[in-house]
Amino acid sequence: MASLLELAEVTVRYGGLNAVDNVSLSVRPGEVCAVIGPNGAGKTTLFNVVTGNAQSTSGRILFRDEEIQRLSPHEIAARGVRRTFQLGALFGELTALENVLAGLHTEIESGLLGLLLGSRRARAAERAATAEARQLLELMEIGHLADRPARELSGGQQRMVEIVRAVASKPRLLLLDEPAVGLAPPMRAHLESVIRSLAKERQTGILVIEHAIELVMNISDRVIVLNYGAKIADAPPAEARANKAVLEAYLGHA
Amino acid sequence: MSGEGRAESRRSASASRPRSGRLIFWLAPLALLPLPLFLNQYQQYVLNLILMYVPVGVGFNVVVGNLGQLAFSNVAFFGLGGYTAGILMAKLGLPWWATVLPAGIMGAVAGCAASVPALRGVRSFSLAIMTLAFGELMRWTYIRSEWLTGGSMGMAVPASDLFGWRLDLESHKFYVFLVLAVAVVIATDRLLRSRVGRAFIAIKDNEVAAAAMGVPTGRYYVLGLAWSGFVVGIGGSMYALLVGHLSPDSFNLIELILEFAIIMVGGLGSLAGSVVGAVVITATPEIFSNFPGFEELIFGLLIVLVILVLPRGLASLLARLHPVFRDRYYEGA
Amino acid sequence: MLMMTPQLVVSGISTGMLYAVVALSMTVVYKATTVVNFGHGDLVMAGAYAAFVFTAGIGLPFVPALVLALGALFLFGLAMQRALIEPILTGPHLSLAMMALAVGNVLRGAARLEWGNETLMLARPYPQTSFLLGPIVLTMDDIVISAVVLLLLLALFVVFHLSPLGKVVQAVFQTQRGAALVGINVRAFHGTMWGTGAALGAAGGALLALNTALTPDMGAWTLVRGFAAMTLGGFGSLYGAVVGGLLLGIMEKLLGFYVSTAFIDITAYVVTIVVLLVRPQGLFGRVAGRSV
Repeated sequence: MASLLELAEVTVRYGGLNAVDNVSLSVRPGEVCAVIGPNGAGKTTLFNVVTGNAQSTSGRILFRDEEIQRLSPHEIAARGVRRTFQLGALFGELTALENVLAGLHTEIESGLLGLLLGSRRARAAERAATAEARQLLELMEIGHLADRPARELSGGQQRMVEIVRAVASKPRLLLLDEPAVGLAPPMRAHLESVIRSLAKERQTGILVIEHAIELVMNISDRVIVLNYGAKIADAPPAEARANKAVLEAYLGHA
Repeated sequence: MSGEGRAESRRSASASRPRSGRLIFWLAPLALLPLPLFLNQYQQYVLNLILMYVPVGVGFNVVVGNLGQLAFSNVAFFGLGGYTAGILMAKLGLPWWATVLPAGIMGAVAGCAASVPALRGVRSFSLAIMTLAFGELMRWTYIRSEWLTGGSMGMAVPASDLFGWRLDLESHKFYVFLVLAVAVVIATDRLLRSRVGRAFIAIKDNEVAAAAMGVPTGRYYVLGLAWSGFVVGIGGSMYALLVGHLSPDSFNLIELILEFAIIMVGGLGSLAGSVVGAVVITATPEIFSNFPGFEELIFGLLIVLVILVLPRGLASLLARLHPVFRDRYYEGA
Repeated sequence: MLMMTPQLVVSGISTGMLYAVVALSMTVVYKATTVVNFGHGDLVMAGAYAAFVFTAGIGLPFVPALVLALGALFLFGLAMQRALIEPILTGPHLSLAMMALAVGNVLRGAARLEWGNETLMLARPYPQTSFLLGPIVLTMDDIVISAVVLLLLLALFVVFHLSPLGKVVQAVFQTQRGAALVGINVRAFHGTMWGTGAALGAAGGALLALNTALTPDMGAWTLVRGFAAMTLGGFGSLYGAVVGGLLLGIMEKLLGFYVSTAFIDITAYVVTIVVLLVRPQGLFGRVAGRSV
């Protein structure tokens, strides 16, 4: 398996418009790829089509050499793909801890019958998951928020919880949609180190949509630039920054 | 490091919290056991009625409060359970205890049927309308199946016993009902304090995000509605024994609104709320006089009041008093 | 064999007119506030009882009594929306559904307390005759009900399309935010539309009471049929509500005669379930979009 995620000429057409226009790219395990581009360039749509929340009009999407463009979101997630959402998508009624536990849903081995009968195995699985979730929150230095309902947390805190939720199940592919929005500088630095360690130690492939250029430059192995749904650059950060087409897309014609 | 120390003590603190929650499931029923010695027939009947409404409320709350779906099909499960028990007893001569599980299973089947629209993406008001129509269709079926159900006149449920132990005494029904109600509450509690319960709330709060965590939302719709149908169906079998008579009019819109009152006054999404609601709502008509229409008026006003003033129901008030009333969806470290 | 069809269609249209006005009244409320009023059936019932009170109780002739009943329900609908719905409009759908149901419950309880299980009927202000139109029998009921409903529909049409008020209504129906931006008092609009919906429902109730017994439970019957008509015609479509109502009435009669009498009762239930499963937007509704 050469690449973790591979998009082959993927197009997403809405009405008369190509939200994603014939995009091909690949992400290797342990690679951090930033996805940047002006507003409306199709970045979130690209994420949606990978996670199954949007239907591609044509093209193929392969995850670990398996075609996933026809799978439903939960089936794709079950294969080890996790994401965060642009506008934040925590489960407001659950506590931070319970949100992370929700992220561990696929990892907890408790069958229905075992649950109902209160079997030792089911309870042990639940308890282990709870301990793991608490630990994860501690590692991200938000352990003290564990038992607060998610809707009571501040924007930045919610973002962090959402990221913990996404990485809890040790996904193979992680898609972060503007993770740094609303995060104070110390948190951003923390986020950067988390992303880097996930990529290096767990060989997680990471796609990050981000507008904060500094973050992009710091963490990415490659930068993918979208404009009007099409890929106009796919190169290491320094190269992409100097790319004429990229500059034009952001700044308009000189 | 101080952080670790804090985490340690927090972990042990939360370990003791669930324990107090669990104990009450066993202690409270034990405390109730001697009651039949002090209550007269009528009071015992009301208590039995409350116990019957516990699984009905619990099941309804799982779908409306936890899963967050406007499935107005509860009364269909209730009626189906009741008629299943009644028909098995009247036509096949089965003893009551043998009809409890079949009633639950029929309810579960109906729950699966009710999940079909949800699986097809029917949501919110449309789901409510559809399940309302489904409930009315069921009622029409009871009315039209005279050969089986006695039609609009209803059918009598024969007296039964539990291996020789009479079940026509209110005090005897009490013990059986207590066991069933407690079993339903404990089982549902286990269900909700697990990944299943979390999945329900996740689906309610943000279905897309839930799927993104690998939760097979379709399967959980079916699970939630099937579980609801199951326990409400069991409540239906309790109805058959308690009331001794089944008629289609017992399972109409008015009954549905009573069940709504139970979960709204008690507290949506709260297991404790379902129990509290069952107590409050069932006891209320007995406190007020027996004028036809009065009940409806009171329930209507209660629901209006709750929505405006106490949207999370009585359980939210009680939660401030004692943690056992607080909803938690995990086991504790 | 199919000779009965014209007769069935005609009497189906007559019932369908009732369904149409009820469905229309519910659609007006829905378009104004996107709330499905689960208590609307009980508003229809209240309208019927109001008409009864003003005729049999106070002794007014039919037409003024009807106008008063419509006025009373208009005020009730307006008050209900302002006091109970508007405050929770941005909240969960469940609360809105429950609030509507609860208010309906209160109305029904009050009606039952006052009149219990007495069988009441609204006295017809016209002779109960029938006419023969070729092979078709037309009762006076059919004619009066259809005429009244058509008049109401015509009046609504004129107001909606040709009057300045109608332009305001159209604007708000299209976009509430846009309407607010051009200075329309959208909140007042909500109340007025609920009042209108209640009044229309009351008209349906009064007409229904002409040839059916008044009972506190007629609301549930009406609600389900109103929903069926709305679903068939397409949720949120005013024309759909009318067409759906007429179609429902005709289908009930045709299926009831040619297939089984059961369909007189269950057509509404079956239509609701099937349409929502197979084509949720009905005939004229729009498919709801889903965005991530």
